[in-house]
Amino acid sequence: MSFTFKGGVHPPAHKELSDRKNIEYMPPPATVYIPLSQHIGKAAKAVVAVGDKVVEGQKIGEADGMLSAHVFSSVCGTVKAIETRATSSGKCEHIVIERDTAEEKPEAFRFPSLSVRDGEHILERIKDCGIVGMGGAGFPTHVKLAPKEKIDTFIINAAECEPYITCDYRIMLEYTEQFLRGALYMAKTVGLDKVLIGIESNKTDAADFVARVAKEKGYDVEVVVLKAKYPQGAEKQLVYAMTGRTVKAGGLPSGVGVVVDNVHTALSVALAVEDGQTLYKRIMTVTGEAVAEPKNFWCFSGATYDEAVSFCGGAKEGDDAPVKCINGGPMMGVSVSDETIACTRTTSCILLLSKDSAFTGSSMPCINCGRCASVCPMKLMPMYIDSFMRTGDLKGAVKYGAKYCIGCGSCAYVCPAKRPLLQSIKLAKKKSTEAGL
Amino acid sequence: MKENLFVSVSPHITDAKNSVRRIMIDVLISLCPVVIAAVFFFGYGVAINIAVAVGACIGFELLYDAGVRGKFKKGYFKNASIKDGSAAVTGVILALNFPTFLKVDAWDLNIYKPNINLPTTADILFSFDTVIMLIVASAFAIVVVKMLFGGIGKNFVNPAAAGRVFAFMTVSLAAVQTIGLGLDASTGATWLSGHTGGVSGSVLLNMFIGNTGSAAVGETCAIAIIIGFVYLVVRKVIDFKLPLVIVGSAFVFALLMSGVRGLALGEMNSAGEVLSNALAHVLSGGLLFGSVYMATDYATSPNTPLGRIIFGVGIALITMLIRVFASAPEGMSFAILIMNIVTPLIDRYIYPKPFGYVKPEKKKKAKEEKAA
Repeated sequence: MSFTFKGGVHPPAHKELSDRKNIEYMPPPATVYIPLSQHIGKAAKAVVAVGDKVVEGQKIGEADGMLSAHVFSSVCGTVKAIETRATSSGKCEHIVIERDTAEEKPEAFRFPSLSVRDGEHILERIKDCGIVGMGGAGFPTHVKLAPKEKIDTFIINAAECEPYITCDYRIMLEYTEQFLRGALYMAKTVGLDKVLIGIESNKTDAADFVARVAKEKGYDVEVVVLKAKYPQGAEKQLVYAMTGRTVKAGGLPSGVGVVVDNVHTALSVALAVEDGQTLYKRIMTVTGEAVAEPKNFWCFSGATYDEAVSFCGGAKEGDDAPVKCINGGPMMGVSVSDETIACTRTTSCILLLSKDSAFTGSSMPCINCGRCASVCPMKLMPMYIDSFMRTGDLKGAVKYGAKYCIGCGSCAYVCPAKRPLLQSIKLAKKKSTEAGL
Repeated sequence: MKENLFVSVSPHITDAKNSVRRIMIDVLISLCPVVIAAVFFFGYGVAINIAVAVGACIGFELLYDAGVRGKFKKGYFKNASIKDGSAAVTGVILALNFPTFLKVDAWDLNIYKPNINLPTTADILFSFDTVIMLIVASAFAIVVVKMLFGGIGKNFVNPAAAGRVFAFMTVSLAAVQTIGLGLDASTGATWLSGHTGGVSGSVLLNMFIGNTGSAAVGETCAIAIIIGFVYLVVRKVIDFKLPLVIVGSAFVFALLMSGVRGLALGEMNSAGEVLSNALAHVLSGGLLFGSVYMATDYATSPNTPLGRIIFGVGIALITMLIRVFASAPEGMSFAILIMNIVTPLIDRYIYPKPFGYVKPEKKKKAKEEKAA
C-alpha cells in the first residue's frame, strides 16, 4: 500500500469554516420541489397525481428499469403540481408538494425494522428505500452492491478530499456507530464481514475516533490513514492507494474485486435497515466565504437552495457577496445561476464563493509548461487535449486520453495560464462517446 | 442570494500563487546571481547590454502587437502581452549570451580609449556595435521566432538561442573578440578554443568561480548558475532532472569523445588528465547556463519525463560533437536549437499511457491475426 497516488494537487482545504459545527435540523419548508431524477440512470415515474395526500417518507416516484431508484416525499402534504423545472445539471420533472400546516401531523411512513439481516434482505431493503451513492454522483446503491465479479474488499471512501465540504467528517464524529453498522451491512451484501475505511491524514481525529469506537464495539473495521491530497477520494486513486490494485481505465473497481462506497450512504443504509427510513433527507454542508454562518444540517430533499442558505443566515453582502453558487465542492461541483433549484439527496454541499475565493478571471495562451500533465492522476495530457479540441480534432484528443478523464479538475486548478482545460476535456469525452471513438 | 452569479465548468478555484507572470518573475529572480557575477567579472558593459536587450525585446513585442496584430486601441497597454514578463526574460538571457563588447570590422562604431594606436576590444569605452547587434538579435528573437509563430508558448525554438546564433552568424565569428576582466584577467580566447589537454586544478577552480574568459558573459560563473538553478527548482519552475541529465551526459560524452581522442593523439596521458578535461568541458562554455536557462524553456522542451531525458542527452551529444570534432569552439546554442526542432517529434511518439490503460481487445486481436 502506498497510501497515496501519483499526481494530484493541494488546494487549501477551508474546512475550518464548518468542521466544528454540529449537525442541526432544518425546519421543513412550506413547499418542496422533489425532482424525479436524483440519481444516475433513468428518472423515476411519478406514482402520485395532483391533489393526492402524501406523508413524509412515502414513495412518490417508482424506479423505472434496472438503473433507477425510488423517490420519496420529504413532507406531509398535498401534491400541488407535477412540472418540469431546472436542476443543477439540466431539467427534469419535479413533484411539487405543499406541506400541511395542521397541528396534528400524520405519522411518517417507515418500513418495519429488518429482522433477517442477511445480504439478500439488506439489498432488497436498500432498493426499497431508494438509496443511491450520496457522494455526489448518485449511482443506485442496489446496482453497485450486486456486481457480477467476485468481491474481496469493501472500502468506505471517507477521504472527503474536496475542499470546504465537511458533512462526511461530521457524520463520522456524530453518527459513528450507525455509520459503521451501515458499512458492515453493505459489506454483507457483497459477502464480506470486513470494512476498510480510507480517511485523509488531515482528519486524523475522525480516524482515531472511528477506530476507537469500532474496537469498543467489536466491529471488524480497519481505518487506513491516507495522504491528504486532492483527488484522494477519486475511486480509482483510492483503490490504488488502499489496495495497490490498478483499476482498468474506463472500468469499475469491481473489476479488481473492490467495491467503494460513501460515508453518508453507509449511514442511510443503517437507517433503512434498522429504522426502515426511506431516503428523503440528508446531511448537507452549506459553506463558503459568502455564507453568514456555515453549517452542517439535515436538509429535506426538495427544499430550494435559497431556503437552505437562509437557514445558515443567508448570503453575505458587500465585498463578500456571492459570485458563484456551487452544488458540490469547488473542484468538481456544478455552478448554478438559479437559487430556486431544489436540493436533492446527492447535494452534499452548497458552496457560495465570494469574489476573492472564486476564480472568475480570463485565460492566457498555453505556455506548454506541462504542469497539467504532471498533476493529472490519470496521466493524461490535458494541454494537448485542449488544443486538439480547439481545432476540432477529436481523434487527437482521444489519443491523449480524453476518454479516461475523471473530471477532478487538477489540471485547470494548477494551470498558470488559467486555461479552462477541464471544459475542453469534458467536451472531448462527450463528443468522442457520441462519435463512438 | 443575489442574481449575477457566474456559471462555469469546474474547478471554481485556482492556484492564485501560480501564474505565467509569477513564473517569469521567478526566472528573472533566478537570473540575478548570474547578472551580478557577469557585471562583477566583465564590468559596466554588461549592464548596458542587458538594459538594451530588455528594452529592445519589450519594444519589439509592443510594436508587433500594435502594428501587425492591429491591437493598438484604448487600454492597449493595460492588456499588452509584454505584461506576462516573457519578453523581459528573453532580453536578459539574450544579453547574457553576448560578450561584453563586440567589434564588427565592417562598420566599427565603437568608442575607444583615446591615444591608443591599435585598439582591441579591451580598450572599448562604449560599444555601439554591441548595441546594434543586440537590437538586431532581439528583433529576430521576438518578431521572427516568437511573435510570427503565435507569441508566448508557440515559439518553435528558444528565442534567445536563436537570437544569439543569428547575430553571430550574420557577422563573421572571426570578428568577435571576447574579453575577460577580473582578478587574473585572462584576455582573449576561451578555454574551449584550442585547448585539448588536461587541466590543472587552479584553472578548474577559476572556471567554477567565473574568473576566466568566456564567449558570453552569462556563462562565466558556475556558482551563480547553480544558485539560480536551486532557486528555480525550489520554486518548482523547472524540472530539476533536465539540467542534470544534460550536464551528466555531457560529462560522459566528454570522457568518451574528448578523452579518448586526447589519449589516442597523445595529448593526454593519464586518467586524471582525462577526467579534468571532461570537467573543464562541463564548466566552460554555455553548457551550464544553457542547460538551466535555455534548454528548460517550456515551449520548446518535451512534456514527458522520458521525452526530457532524450532531449537532454541529445543536447549533450550534439554539443560535444561540435566541440570535439567541428571547427566551431562552442556548440551549446546549436545543440539547443536542433533539439528544439526535434521536440515536436519526441512529443509525438512519447506520451504517457492513462492510469490503468489496457490495450483495446480489437487492436490486440488484429495484431495477433496479422502475426499469425
